Order: sequence, then C-alpha cells, then structure tokens
Amino acid sequence: MLVLKSLTVLAGTSLASAANLTVSIPSSPPLLPNPASLAPSTHAVLIGPPGVQYEAPIRRDNTFTFPDLAEASYLLTVHSRDYFFPPLRVDVTKAADGTQQETVQAWQTFRGNEWSNKGPFYGSGNGELRTQIQPSSQKNFYQDRGGFNIIDFVKSPMILMALVSVAFIFGMPYIMDNMDPEMKEEFDDMQKKGPLSGSSGAAAQLQNFDIAGWLAGKGSSTEQGAGDIGKKR
Amino acid sequence: MLLPLLTAVTLFLAPACAVFSDEAWNIDYHFALLGAPKEETSFFHRPNPSSKASLIYTLSEEHALGAVNPRDGSLVWRQILASGGDSHNTSFLRAGEGQDVVISGIGSEVAAWSAADGRLVWNVNADGPLEDVEILELSDGKETVGAKDAVALSGGEHPMVQRIDGASGAVKWQYSIDGSDAPYQLSASSTEVYAILLHKTILDYVKLRVVALDPVTGQKTDEYMLSSENELATADNVISVGANSASPIIAWTDAAHTTLKVNVVGTKSISSFSIERHDGNAIERVKLHAPYHINSLSHFLVHYETATSHWAEVYHIDLKNSKVEKAYSLPRVAGRGAFSTSTADANVYFTRVTRDELSTVSSASHGILGRWSLSSFGVASGVGEQVEPVHAVSEVSVKGDTVSAIRTTVLLSTGDWVLLRDGKGIWNRPEMLASTVAVTFAMPADVVALAQQLEVEAHGNPVAAYIHRVQRHVVDLQKLPSFLVSMPKKIVQGFLGTSADHAAGSDIFGFRQIIACATRSGRLVALDAGHPDRTLWNRDVADLKPGQSWRPSLSSTKDGVIQVSSAAGTGINYNATDGQQLAGDLPIIPDEPDLSTSRAVRYTMRGNSLEATYDWSPSWTFTPIHGERILNLVPRPVNDPVASIGKVLRDRRVLYKYLDSNIALLATAHDASSKANFYVLNTISGAIIYSNAHPNIDLTAPVPTIMSENWFAYSFTSEASDATTKGHQLVIGEVFESLIPDNRGAMGASSNYSTLQTATDPPFTLTQTYQIPEPISQLAVTRTRQGITSRQLLAVLPASNAIVGIPYGIVDPRRPVNRDPTKDEQAEGLMRYAPVLDFDPKWYLNHQREVVGIKNVVTAPALIESTSLVFAYGLDVFGTRLSPSFSFDILGRDFNKFQMLATVAALAVATFVVAPLVMRKQVDQRWRFL
Repeated sequence: MLVLKSLTVLAGTSLASAANLTVSIPSSPPLLPNPASLAPSTHAVLIGPPGVQYEAPIRRDNTFTFPDLAEASYLLTVHSRDYFFPPLRVDVTKAADGTQQETVQAWQTFRGNEWSNKGPFYGSGNGELRTQIQPSSQKNFYQDRGGFNIIDFVKSPMILMALVSVAFIFGMPYIMDNMDPEMKEEFDDMQKKGPLSGSSGAAAQLQNFDIAGWLAGKGSSTEQGAGDIGKKR
Repeated sequence: MLLPLLTAVTLFLAPACAVFSDEAWNIDYHFALLGAPKEETSFFHRPNPSSKASLIYTLSEEHALGAVNPRDGSLVWRQILASGGDSHNTSFLRAGEGQDVVISGIGSEVAAWSAADGRLVWNVNADGPLEDVEILELSDGKETVGAKDAVALSGGEHPMVQRIDGASGAVKWQYSIDGSDAPYQLSASSTEVYAILLHKTILDYVKLRVVALDPVTGQKTDEYMLSSENELATADNVISVGANSASPIIAWTDAAHTTLKVNVVGTKSISSFSIERHDGNAIERVKLHAPYHINSLSHFLVHYETATSHWAEVYHIDLKNSKVEKAYSLPRVAGRGAFSTSTADANVYFTRVTRDELSTVSSASHGILGRWSLSSFGVASGVGEQVEPVHAVSEVSVKGDTVSAIRTTVLLSTGDWVLLRDGKGIWNRPEMLASTVAVTFAMPADVVALAQQLEVEAHGNPVAAYIHRVQRHVVDLQKLPSFLVSMPKKIVQGFLGTSADHAAGSDIFGFRQIIACATRSGRLVALDAGHPDRTLWNRDVADLKPGQSWRPSLSSTKDGVIQVSSAAGTGINYNATDGQQLAGDLPIIPDEPDLSTSRAVRYTMRGNSLEATYDWSPSWTFTPIHGERILNLVPRPVNDPVASIGKVLRDRRVLYKYLDSNIALLATAHDASSKANFYVLNTISGAIIYSNAHPNIDLTAPVPTIMSENWFAYSFTSEASDATTKGHQLVIGEVFESLIPDNRGAMGASSNYSTLQTATDPPFTLTQTYQIPEPISQLAVTRTRQGITSRQLLAVLPASNAIVGIPYGIVDPRRPVNRDPTKDEQAEGLMRYAPVLDFDPKWYLNHQREVVGIKNVVTAPALIESTSLVFAYGLDVFGTRLSPSFSFDILGRDFNKFQMLATVAALAVATFVVAPLVMRKQVDQRWRFL
C-alpha cells in the first residue's frame, strides 16, 4: 500500500514521467541468507519534503516499490523487526538532457551529518532506479544476565591465585616427603643460605633480640595466618 | 578507589534498563489484535492449495488485514491498511478458491497479499473510491494459469469497472460507466460480469440498473433497469447482491420489511415473497447468506431479526427458468442469532449460532445434521448480561448425513471473537480492546477492603474498635486451614522460584493492579495486570446507538473504584474487582471541584489562544504569534513525586532542580514557514520559563511532547537543507534553579515564594538535541511510588512497531559537549555528547513482539519503589513492568536461591574440613615457639 499524505503530490503523480524506485533485499549471508524470512511487517519509508511520505510494504519478491515519485530529495529508511538497514538518500531530479524522464540517484547517508554529506553511491537511473540494500546488523533484543558459571568462576585471576596458594600449602609437605634424600639436602642447604633462614639469616638475627623473640614469633604466626586464610578458601 | 567503584556501579546499572532474556515473555504481555472482524470480510481459506490446513482471514473495522490460526487463535500475519483518510468506510476482502493470495480493497487501492506470509504481491490504485471488488471465478483460457483475476468497481468522478490480472496486477480492461448513477456492487456469474448501479428516480426512489459486461473483452453486452416500483427508498434496503455463484441474485425489501423481492441477475423477472411476522416486534434487519462458489448449489438463506428474536428461510433457485422458491424455514428462536454459509463440493450448509445452541443444516433439506448445545461462550460479561452472537463464519466437514467436524468463529456482543470446535470454545480473542480509547489503573477492591476495615477501627471508639478487631481476626481465622494446606506448596515455590514469581498470588508488590479500558463501543473492560490472559469483567456502560461515539475519561479517584466520565454524563463509579456499579455506597467526589474554594486555575482554549482564569477572573492569556496554532499542551503530571530537590554531583555539591508543580510544555506550529515553537510555561503566572524555535519542521509528522519532574522532552521530524541534517530529532531539556552548584539562584535569598509572582531571574535550562533513527509518535515517562528510582523515557516508535525505554542517563542534557567527561562527570555516568542516538534493541520493551498502532502509553507506580507498570493501547495491547534503576528492593529472577544455599553449604563443609587442620597448625606453633 502506498500512503500519500499530501494532495500536493497528487498532481505530480499523475505525470507519466514521474520516477519509479525499486529497492530489493538480496540474499546477504551470513547475516541474512534468506530474505524471504523477513517478517511481513518489514516496510520502507520514503520521506520527502514536509507532508510527502510514501510507505511500501515488502513484496513477495523481497522488494519495495515506490511508483510515481515527485522531484525531491528523499530519505529512505527500511524498518524491519529483526534487522537494521542503512538509511539512503534518494534524489529525484530533472534529467540533465532535458528529456521527459527524471533522474533517480541514491546514496547512503549518515544520521547526524549534514544532508550534503553523501556516502557510497547506490546507483542512478533514468526514470527508474533498481538498487539493492543489505542489512547492516541484526537486532539483539535480549540482555543476558551475568549468571553463575563454574568455569568462569574458576577462570577469574583471584580464584586462580587462591587455588595455587592452596595447592602449595597442601602440596609442599608431600613434595618434600617424596623428594629423594639428595635433593632434599640440597633444598635444605638452599633454604639455609636464604636471607631469612639459617643462623645468619635475617629471621634468626631478629630472633636474637630479647623482645624480638616474641615479635618474631608473632611475625611468623601472621605468615601462618595468611596460609590459614588460603586454606579456608 | 571510589572512582573505579562508581564507574563499575554505573556500568553495572546501565544494562538494567534492558530487557533481560529471562524476563522477556514472562513479565510482559501482548495481545496482537485485529479489531472487530467484519462479517463480509471474514472467511476460512487454505493459504496453500495443496494442504488441507486453513487459516481464518479477516479485514477488520480497524482496517487491519490478518490471518489467524484456527488452532490456537494466534496471529499468523497482519497488515494495517491505510484507508487513505477518506470517510468512505468500505473495505473488501476476497479469496479465490484454490488461490494462494487474498485480495483486499480499501479506499481506492486493490492489493493482493500472499495468503501464507502476508507479503504484498501487487497493488493497483483505482481512480475513485472502491465500491466493490470481486474475483472472477471463470476460466476463459485467457488468464494466467493459477492466478484468478479480480474485478473492481470504483466510484468517484469517473466510475469504472476494471479487470485486474491476478498474477501481475496489470489492468486488463476497463469499462467506464456513463451516466450519473452511483455504482453499487459487482456480481459475477460464470459467463458475465454485472455492475449494479443505483439510479435515482425523480421521486427520489432508487432503481437498480444492471450493466452486463463481457468478462473477456470488457464490452457491454446488455443493460436494463429493474422495475422495483417505488419500494426502494434508499440503498439500505438492498439486502444483498450475490457475488460469485451460479446464479447471482439481488434482493431487497420495502422500508417496512413486509415483502422480500428477489431477482436473479441476468433476468428481468422479480420474485416476490411476503415476510411473515413471528412476533409483535417489527423486523429490524434482514440479511442474506448465499454461498460464494460458482459450482455450489444456488440456494440461499434469508435471516430476519427483530429486537427479541430471529428466524430464517431458505430459498432455492431453479437454474433452468430462474425461478426462486421457498424451500423451508428455520424456527424462531429468542435472542439474536448468527448464520454462516459453508460449502463442501457443490453442497451448501448453513450453520446457526444462537445464545445456547449451534446447529448445522443442509441447504437442501431442513434436517439437522449436527447440533451442539453451548453452555456459555466462556467470555467475561457484565452481570446479568446475555452474551449474543453477532456474526459467524464456519468451516464444516460432513460425512454422510452428519457433521464430522465443525469450526465456527463467532463475534460476540461483548466484542470477543471466539472459535467453537464442535460446540466447545477453543480460544477467544479480546478484539474489543483494539478500540480502547481510555485506560486507567486501579487497585483491586479486596486490597482496599482491609484498608477500609483498619480505618473503621482507627476512627471508632476504643471498645467498638476492639470488638471489630476481634471479629475481623475470627473471620481471618477461618482462612487458617486453607493457609496451612497451601503452606508446603508455598515453601517449595519460594525455594524454587523467585519472590517476583509468586507475587501474583498475594499482591504484596502491587503488580496485580486492575487495568480498566473503555472501548469505542461503550464497554468497560477490566484486565488484571498480573494475569492478563483473562478478562476480569466486561460490561456495557455507555449504551451507545450505532454510529454514536463517546469520549470517556477514566480515573481511579479512590482505591478499588473506577470512575467513568464522559462529555455526556458525570462520573459513575464501578467496583474495580467485579465491575459492579456503585450506587450510593461510596461518596462520589464531585466531578468539578468548587473553584471558588479550591482556588484553582482553569484553562480554556479560546479561539487560538490559551486563557487561564483564576478566581473566575482572567489571569493570563497566551496567544501565539499570528499564523501559529497551538499543537498541544502537556502539564507536569499531577502525581509526580520527586525524591530529591537537587542533583548531587560527584564532589558532594548540589545542582538544584527547578521544581514547580505548575509548569507545562506548550507546542505551537507556524504552518506557513513550517516552524515549531516550544514554550515551558508557569501555568499560574503565565510566565515563559523557556522557549525554543525550530525551523524546517515537517508539521504533518507527529510532534510528541512530555513534561516530568524538572525536565521536558519533545520530538519532531526536520527537513534537510544542504548544511543541516534530515531526519527525526529528540530534544531533552532540564530546568535548574541555577547552573552553579550549591546556588539556588534567585530563590536562594528570598524566604517567601509566590507562585503568582514571576521571579525576576528565570531558571536555567540545559537542552540537548539528539538525532534519532525513526519518528516517535508518543512519549511517556515511568512513574514510581516515591520518585527515588530514576525515570525512563518511553517512546512509541510507529515505524518499528515498538515501544522503546530510553534511560534518562543516556539523554541527559548535562552530557559534556566537544570534550571528554572529567573524572567527576564520568563518575556520575555522563558520557561525551554524541549527536546520534541509536535506539539499542535491548531498550525495546516489546523485544521481538510487534506492537502495532499504539496510540497511548500509561504508567502507574507499583507498591514497591523500584517498579513501574506500563500499559500501552491503541490497536494492540501491551503491558510490562519496568525497573529503571534495577530491581533494588525485590529479589528478581537473577537471584538464584539454590546458588545461595549451595554457597552456604559449601562454606559450612569447608569450615568443618579446615577446622581440624587449623587446630593442628596452631598447636604445632605453640610447640615451636614456646
């Protein structure tokens, strides 16, 4: 159906020379492999100067047809339930060579930009223009909740860190026990050489203070406490 | 530290305005309606000739063309046909036998639609308004294989008959009708096309002129005038002109309905039958039901209706000598009845629907082939109201001498459209809601009952109040057994479900409000927002005569009460729960408050200016500039609670909102220069707080406006020049007392405030314009109980058939322009201004549904602060619940009780496992250091 909102256009439409515009939706995989799946409410709106507006529903052959367009500059919008389509600028002008036929040209246009800012050219025709328009994206209506997912939960760095520390706390004694004696000795030596351990280590030095004995005990117990927290996880 | 936290919070809040996949289809409801179907444009038809499944097609009074699945009543497809705006309210819908298209005619347009998916096949514009459209059921070898051609009769200045190719929509031939006779109808037999014209005689009577055309060439083969004598006073007395049948007929009666005259088109003989009177009442209506198929028996049924009863007579046409004979009659039954015609091969069956019975007879004899008693149609109706069938369409399959299956769709006097399968109601579509003109929300009366009882106790003397209370508790105690029985179920439900789910059972959240809809036909229909799938009650309140219209306004002045007012009558109150009219039980609040005491300001539109009177004396007048007209005036809602008088900035300073309950947004249009002006007025003093003008506006497009709290919004379609942009724009303005934080502007110093005196310094307004992808036809705003929840702007998008909920933060006029937001602004959730605002599909309240023809959106607060109820009406009816600031006071669907319990259990287990380890470690430590 064609909605004609203005009588001023009626005069223009009766002219035999008026222009026709046919816009088709091709199969455009992967977004829209089958344009026949578009909802029957899919329609195109052609907005001209104030009061001039044409509307065309989708046809069985996936096209929109606008017959008898008067000379003007139009904004073409395709509305569909499931897809977005880019807006087009359609100009119907007198032909340069002065013939009866009018020239129909189409470009992509950009919302929020001045009208003279034209995008890719969609074609031109004398008296009739057939062009194609492809959907730009699919409409996604639903917001998924960030639900509980055990894999995502384990993947988070905090949990990973906690798991590693838990593994160390529980696993270390077993590793120590299962090490062969030579390795164990070596390991003990290394620990002795460490700055905190051994009689010359910082920890031992701290322990030599009178009050420090108590303080160091607390210090190491906090270390243990941290371990406890790790275990609780 | 706080900044990232706040950013995180805003990020977290942003998607809260979206439709969640687990809430969609659950908390929202939608009736995809067509409007009341018309008898002559409703039928069963097989969209795919090779398959047996048929759909019900209808072109309704709302000009909606659609296909309904007879199995469940769901809508298969729908197209809204524009009638071209003329008052000529005739529409046609035809389907040829074995065709995969249906052909509609409305206004001056004939269009063919794919029957299976509702896509356009072709359309043709006739020069004048259409008077009739028929399908040529003949095979002359010239038509394209498969597609049957259509014939259209158009009126206007150049009346003509056109034959339209069924495959391409090309006009094959056209025949211009000469003379001044009004085209009336088309009729086609297997050999000829007849155009029936109404010829006015000198004495102002009507005579029927028949022009016979050759269907192949369109040449006139014959023309004659039927001698109807002086019986036909108006065209209304012509009952029917049969369309496609072996012998099309014209039937008419005289004005008093005493004789029935029948003429077989193509012959000049007229058969006359006297109409018997069966009861004292005059016959009000005579209808004719004839089969529509060219190869079916040429039998027809005449249906007589009086105010109290109806009956019918079946006639046979003898094809050889074109004689019409009465075959048998169907007995008189009280109440209204509906007849429908169905065919199977050549046989014709008539199905009769009365108040309490469904029966089928063959056209050949009066023996009843099938009879089913109808206890009720299963629809809600008014108390004591008799539900009666208005018209029916049937699909009958007959085996031997009995009806093996029958499906009948019946339009009832309540406005419901029901399907009966073998006499049992299968579905009903509340088509009366498609003509809803006014809506209000009301609390159910049972909720109010407790409040009333408590009120009695509060105001009575202590002893009486105590006795009353004990009595109330005793009454309550009677409910204890049933409560105890339902306890386990409730606990299980509470464990498995969420609190929002079983809220419908006991309405502690206020989701179960009653929505009262007044329809154009004068009925009041109540829906339950918690269980929208059933109509609570449906009663006739206006008692309108056909053709009469009313403009009701609904309000709920008091909880549990719905008040209906219209221009004709003052408020009548109805109980919201059961629809009973409340006579003197409740004090009716006077419709118009006494102005001398309430000191209200009244507004009247006088000519083209808005005049305000205060204390009966003119207060101020707003007259637009010469050549301008007032488009609309939107005041701030009466009940518009605001929780905070200022906007707290990140640095704890405050921007004070300009809050005045007496402000309104006025839009005017200057048609000559296509300019629109918008004014924010103080409605008491008449002062203009803000004004703005927009040139190059398409004034034929809708210009919706809204005003709430301290902000306003409007939208329009702008015309392009080379330097500007073409398209649709949305403007948001917010009014502040001062733009300097912690400063109250002119109000700061003064201790008194008068609404009558205009402040010397006007408040400050921030506005921002956004380019939107499609037009907005209507704006609304969510409402919550306290106004703490942020508001959401609801916009109806007619092009996408959607309602979009735009979060206020997205269109906040404080969004920084041409610079990135500072950290403080970021923390407030303000983004850099971008001129293009795309409607995220996640904001679509209707998500995948298509809500068509929405005229208005009403909102109401629920009992909990976070939630607002939304109800949209027009053609479709759509409702949902919105939580613009996330459901902060209710456990929503995202709250997983099982997960919570599992976490607690896991922690308990972990504690038991770890406790001995910790104990051992602590003991070890003691040994090590002490």
